[in-house]
Amino acid sequence: MHDLPILLTPDYRHILSFVSAIPLSFDFGPRPRPVPELPPGDPQRDDVKRLRESLSREVAAKVMNATELIRALDKARRDESIPTTLAPFDTLLGGGLPRGKMVELTGRRATGRFAIAMSALAAATSMGEAAVLVDLGDHFDPRNAEENGVDLRRMLWIRPKTLKQAVMSAEMITATGFQLVVLDVGLHPIRGRRVPDAAWVRLGRTAEAHGAAMMISTPYPLTATASEAVVVMEHARAKWLGKGNAPRVLAGSTADLRLGKHRHRKAGVRASVELHVAEASGQEKPGTPTRRLDDSSTRPLLVSR
Amino acid sequence: MTRIAALFVPMFPLAARLRSEPELLTEALAIVEGNGNAAHIVAATRRARTKGIKPGHSLAQARSLVPKLIARGRDVECERTAQEALLEAAETFSPRVEDAGEGLVFIDVTGMERHFASEEELGKAALRACDNVGLPARCGIAASKLAARVAAELPKSPTIVPAGGEAAFLAPLPLRRLTPALDAATTLQRWGIGSIGDLARLPEPEVASRLGELGRELHYAARGIDPRPLIPRAMPPEFREGMELEWPLVALEPFLFIASAALDRLAKRLEVQGFACKRLEVTMNLEPDGHHARAIELPAPTRDVKTMLTLIRLDLEKTPPGAPVTGFSIVAHPDRPRRAQLSLFGPAALSPEKLATTIARLISMLGDDRVGMAVPVDGHLPERYAIGPFAPPPPPDLKRGPRKSHGLIATRVFRPPIPVEVITRERGNGELEITSIQGEGDISGPVRASAGPWQTDAEWWAPAPGVREYWDVELERGGVYRTYRGGEGAQWFVDARFD
Repeated sequence: MHDLPILLTPDYRHILSFVSAIPLSFDFGPRPRPVPELPPGDPQRDDVKRLRESLSREVAAKVMNATELIRALDKARRDESIPTTLAPFDTLLGGGLPRGKMVELTGRRATGRFAIAMSALAAATSMGEAAVLVDLGDHFDPRNAEENGVDLRRMLWIRPKTLKQAVMSAEMITATGFQLVVLDVGLHPIRGRRVPDAAWVRLGRTAEAHGAAMMISTPYPLTATASEAVVVMEHARAKWLGKGNAPRVLAGSTADLRLGKHRHRKAGVRASVELHVAEASGQEKPGTPTRRLDDSSTRPLLVSR
Repeated sequence: MTRIAALFVPMFPLAARLRSEPELLTEALAIVEGNGNAAHIVAATRRARTKGIKPGHSLAQARSLVPKLIARGRDVECERTAQEALLEAAETFSPRVEDAGEGLVFIDVTGMERHFASEEELGKAALRACDNVGLPARCGIAASKLAARVAAELPKSPTIVPAGGEAAFLAPLPLRRLTPALDAATTLQRWGIGSIGDLARLPEPEVASRLGELGRELHYAARGIDPRPLIPRAMPPEFREGMELEWPLVALEPFLFIASAALDRLAKRLEVQGFACKRLEVTMNLEPDGHHARAIELPAPTRDVKTMLTLIRLDLEKTPPGAPVTGFSIVAHPDRPRRAQLSLFGPAALSPEKLATTIARLISMLGDDRVGMAVPVDGHLPERYAIGPFAPPPPPDLKRGPRKSHGLIATRVFRPPIPVEVITRERGNGELEITSIQGEGDISGPVRASAGPWQTDAEWWAPAPGVREYWDVELERGGVYRTYRGGEGAQWFVDARFD
């Protein structure tokens, strides 16, 4: 304990003051989690090293100064994903949209591409993150998005006119610090001419530099090798209620998901995603609020049947 | 003891012009007042002065000395904005600042010794502040405005006059330092009085009896007594920059080049005061007469010159002034930049200033109705929406998990709705069903299943009420669409796709 006086010197007061503020230090299991090292050349590096050496192993693992704390939090944040909370999609990607990476979602016709984008936006905004929708096709419906759980106050809506503008907007806004950027290029044919592949590489690097999760929703492959993963949506089928002469109601749709490419996971894995129409009461997934056919808040129609 | 600092810009018309056109600093430049034969030199750059040009020379005399002399007329707008910049630099030291005009300001620096090691350090800091706004100033600090001004006019700067030493400081100086345009100078010269000290030594009643009230005031000044108090100016509600142009500008690019420099100066002034710009007013003087004014609202307070310049460019491209521009002024209405406390443990917060600047740039690129927060509008017509300014609430202090997805199908709306032709038939129970749709692109072909109609009767009070019948339609080739029949002639439209 000959090093004990060091703990009381002013240089170490700020280190000790952070011990109680580190949530990570209280969740340790049997083995202490390794503490990130200070960068070489940091004047505090030797002091912290001596301090840790003077403490027992368990306590030393819990000591962290402000620089290490910020680095650890930043690293932890970057290692996370933003889940869409659609289980099949999240499972394919290993937890959701990875931060700092670009994921391409490809699908022609009515495959549920837009619904997955809405789910990602809803999940991010419900976590308190700021999100962006770059809506090249101008297809966004605010009321439908609210139904899907998107907090519109936390979502910036950008409506570019060409693909070039859309990519530029996405790059600019990513650099601002938004944590989820969804670029929906709309339907076939895409508005505006194609942009060079280098633009997608650059967009991916911007996402990486700022730790933002980026999703490109497109009717056909666009981003080539720039994406971390490509998810293909295919074989969409609508589900109807009512047969024969009975009145019919659209109940939802199903589509197959296929992992077309992933840098760290095996490609070709398949899953199926099922989506529901809000009005088809009785068909909601457990936990979702019951919606009625005449509920004008779920669908802006007056129903008479 | 009151302490007053005077900031004085020598050859102010020239300094103001060089602030707007700094590339002329090394040229032989003269500032001219008056027109035609009455045009005379007011100030000249060092290069011109070394060739013999002096204030008071006529332009013809000056040109005979330096044939390639660049002559610029006095620019009222330039001088006004330079004076504003000088005042703002002074206001960074004290809120009590008096505008004495023509490149001279007084600052009440009483009590400032606590913030600076010495008055000399204070003076040097004031000179640096003036230098930052592009004005080469001199500084004098004394107990009275008069002594401070005289001290500021001396070449060695900063000049500090110790408290109570005003009379001793003034005594050896020539009489013209007291006031340059002295009417009684000739009389005093006849009396054999050359310095301020000589005048101070004369008995006051005798001077007053011979020169009147002017003589009494002059005698007071010579003894270093200045009863005039410092009159602080009110803070201006806006920041202005501008200049008169040598020749009218017709093209947009040259104008933007000059406007960019003015915006750069504005941004620096706003930064000094800790402000950002929330509204720009651009006024252009047109040839032969008249002016054109416009106001540009910024989405959020910003100091980003590129953003402001792009907004001005877009505005001018949209509505050109319609005549050559002979001068301009840009007024920036200040506002406090948005600030936010960033969170350590919660989700990453956005920097308000960075966000404001990016949104302004996006608006300048895409248009003001294409960037913002989506706002649903009450009503039964699904195409209704609004777009508002994006001002997200602060993120939560601690991280929280996502809410589980509703797993709902989304609607991808078409703006405007796509007109289609629809073929229907009657089912066994007497209800209609859609059998085929003819539209553009993918929205065409036989129908696999359809459901409807859902009727809506919105805005019955309007001249064209929204009476519609909606159907959900799945095509054989794939794709589920929302169609409706309504409007004049009961035409069919596809207004959304379920996706």
